[in-house]
Amino acid sequence: MSEITQILQAVGRGEAGASEKLLPLVYDDLRRHAAVRMAREAPGQTLQPTALVHEAWLRLVGDGDRTWENRAHFFGAAAEAMRRILIENARRKSRLKRGGDQVRVDIDQLELAATTPDDKVLLIDEALEQLQAQDPDKARIVVLKFFGGRTNQEVAEIMGVTERTVERHWAYAKAWLYQIIRTRK
Amino acid sequence: MTETGPQRNMKTATQREEELFDTARKVASPAERQALLDQACGGDPALRTRVEGLLAAEAEAERFFTEGASALNLPTDSLPFPAGTRAGGGAPRTDLPTEEPIGTRIGRYKLLERIGEGGCGVVYMAEQEEPVRRRVALKIIKLGMETKSVIARFEAERQALALMDHPNIARVFDAGATERGSPYFVMELVRGVRITEFCDQHRLSVRQRLDLFTQICHAIQHAHQKGVIHRDIKPSNIMIATQDGVPVPKVIDFGIAKATEARLADRPLVTADAQLIGTPAFMSPEQAAMSGLDIDTRSDIYSLGVLLYELLTGKTPFDAKELLNSGLDEMRRTLREKEPPRPSARLSALPRSEFSKVAECRQADPARLIWMLRGDLDWIVMRALEKDRRRRYETANGLAMDILRYLSNEPVMARPPSRLYRFRKLVRRNRVVFAAGGAVALALVVGLGVSTWLFIKEREARHRAVAAEQQESRLRRDAEIREKITQAALFVSQERFDSADNLLKDITLFQPTVEGAAVFRSVGEWHALHHRWQQAADRFAQLLLVNQLDGVDVATLDYLERGPALIELGDTNAYGQFRQEAIARFAASPGPFADRIVKISLLLPASSRILESLTPLAESTAKSETEADASGDVFSAAWRSVSLALLEYRRGNYTGAAEWCRRCLACPQYNAPRAATARAILAMSDHHLARTDEARSELLASREIIESKFRSGLDRGTPVQGFWFDWAFARILLREATALIETGAGAK
Repeated sequence: MSEITQILQAVGRGEAGASEKLLPLVYDDLRRHAAVRMAREAPGQTLQPTALVHEAWLRLVGDGDRTWENRAHFFGAAAEAMRRILIENARRKSRLKRGGDQVRVDIDQLELAATTPDDKVLLIDEALEQLQAQDPDKARIVVLKFFGGRTNQEVAEIMGVTERTVERHWAYAKAWLYQIIRTRK
Repeated sequence: MTETGPQRNMKTATQREEELFDTARKVASPAERQALLDQACGGDPALRTRVEGLLAAEAEAERFFTEGASALNLPTDSLPFPAGTRAGGGAPRTDLPTEEPIGTRIGRYKLLERIGEGGCGVVYMAEQEEPVRRRVALKIIKLGMETKSVIARFEAERQALALMDHPNIARVFDAGATERGSPYFVMELVRGVRITEFCDQHRLSVRQRLDLFTQICHAIQHAHQKGVIHRDIKPSNIMIATQDGVPVPKVIDFGIAKATEARLADRPLVTADAQLIGTPAFMSPEQAAMSGLDIDTRSDIYSLGVLLYELLTGKTPFDAKELLNSGLDEMRRTLREKEPPRPSARLSALPRSEFSKVAECRQADPARLIWMLRGDLDWIVMRALEKDRRRRYETANGLAMDILRYLSNEPVMARPPSRLYRFRKLVRRNRVVFAAGGAVALALVVGLGVSTWLFIKEREARHRAVAAEQQESRLRRDAEIREKITQAALFVSQERFDSADNLLKDITLFQPTVEGAAVFRSVGEWHALHHRWQQAADRFAQLLLVNQLDGVDVATLDYLERGPALIELGDTNAYGQFRQEAIARFAASPGPFADRIVKISLLLPASSRILESLTPLAESTAKSETEADASGDVFSAAWRSVSLALLEYRRGNYTGAAEWCRRCLACPQYNAPRAATARAILAMSDHHLARTDEARSELLASREIIESKFRSGLDRGTPVQGFWFDWAFARILLREATALIETGAGAK
């Protein structure tokens, strides 16, 4: 059994930390697949790169017979891992822009409206920690939608709720998170 | 259960808050919203504060998240890289954001909707407000490149772009830079799907696909005539929009590749983030070679060939993924050297299930599809895909015309490469063509010092604008010439030589082209067969020029056409110049057909200086005669004997000449003009050796052969029976022999 399969099963069993182990193993391959695909995408094609990565990931490790539950976990884990990568990336870019070694965004020094998109991502991520503690389900929706690039329908399928619920939670979570970000500032 | 109580209450509170927020945010009127909140939060002011806070935050939150998402929605190249994969100093910047929030104003345009994303940028539907209100497509380029120079290059081509006016070309309106510094282009908004998708979705037959394809060819032709090269023709740049139920192809992105691809030579083909400059599967060999300087309309012809290949087979000639994964050098090698399988062969090699799916999308059963592609369509595609661009169709129209010929069951002009062509290719492949430009630059730096070099660079930059303009008019002129050549080729294939000749009258070719050579040859022969020697000589002169443009001039046979034409014309001065040039051209590197040059240079008596200059060619001829004889190629050996006979005769070595003539005549594989020539030379040699009877009888025999041929009418001829010029050659020598023997007035 390959390492990937073992970890995938661990992910499937919901083992803590399993998804973090999985992504580094397959990430390079994913990127390459995604890049190849992207090079051929047309204007009019709206596939998000993150979704692409998921697709590539699925193709890489999936055998099509995986149960629905595993898929759900799988996507959740993928989105979570994606989040980490994107945050790492945003942090790197934000740091580069400021030209220093600052790891945390010093939000006190920033006008909220003037923050760069990368700073916004970092601020959202921070606030998300708080939502996670209070309402893990909504936090998961934010991860899937914002970092995972998934549609309402996909999130609904992954979480086993209706699309309407996803839409409602998502709208609420955004306003809630923004208030947190604003008050923190 | 004391713990779960408050928790449940809290959840319920959150739930109520969320539900109320959800209901209220959909109520547009502030008054109604107030009323709703009054009613729902009657005794709970805290709830009301919270919901109002959420409602107040909503719009800003939405914007905040959208902007944040724009940092995440960047294509894969924004993802972090494992350490060490990013290339060194030459890597272009990739940190420029190309995503702009909807609603953003860029110049005169307001972004309305993100409609797509391609290899090189993100496309938005945008609204232009002035001078006219209209919807446009706005493409923000993501390649990290110098925005200023992209826009400058676009400006340089703007005039040419503005000249394009064709229903199948999406117009390009504008270019500029976003506030964040990315270049953008504004184009006609095309609502459609890419051609390959459209064809498969609608299960278009091969015929319907060819019909769409020829429309695209005409659009490209239009652009070429305006001096614009697309440089990035691929399915995603060809959209099919439906107008009144009729599919209409639209070529998009004209001018963009040119503006964004400059300094190719300075950059890797694939940037550090696997971002391709160009699309490898659709890239012509000369584009892959990245000399960067020498792309012309024929690169587009190649890409059209790839497109046609994909429309017919569902596959590109070389798999894009394999190309990418094979690494840069290997990719270039493949594109430049490897012959792709013919479309029909590519289909046969597909796995069965895939094959039947491809056939189904074309409403054909698999066996029939292969049968349809084999032959003409295979040839047409392969001709467009020729590695050597001179072998490709000259124009997009030429390609379209060949497809129309196929569709109307006429013979196509594309044919498998001839042996001559293969020989040329062999010659070319063995030459060192590596990076001449780079070597020159290096030599300059070493020789002149860096400051001089910088000065030259500066001056180059100043002249570049002028050069671009000149280049453009040159391209326009070349396109016109190619158009004429293609047309002339068609006339020739229909034996309408006079029409072809009319087209050729004022053309001077500046580029080597096999098609052009063939046309000049045919028209010249047509004149020759009608004894219009001046015109024939002129066309052949052009033909020889075209052959020389090819670099390696191996078309010795064409020299045999011009020589007799000049002598029949009576222009001995021109003939004298012609033979000097021929000797000069080949003396340094006598090829396997040196005998032809020897022969054609001695059609009239020659000075000792000329005889002297022929020495290397003569040696080569003698050697190749021996080799041909030894290898059993008696036919070629006999031709070489004639050349050697004539050489000895002109040298005054009559015994030797007679000896070579007899050797030639002893050849078991008879060729009438060759025999007539040998007998004429033998007659003259015998005359000088005072063997009068033999001389007369050889002369009669020669005359008998030649007169009977000219009585029955001269035609173009064949390699085995002899060509018209072999006969013309023989007749000229017969005249000389007649004058010498019968009137005693022969030239010494």
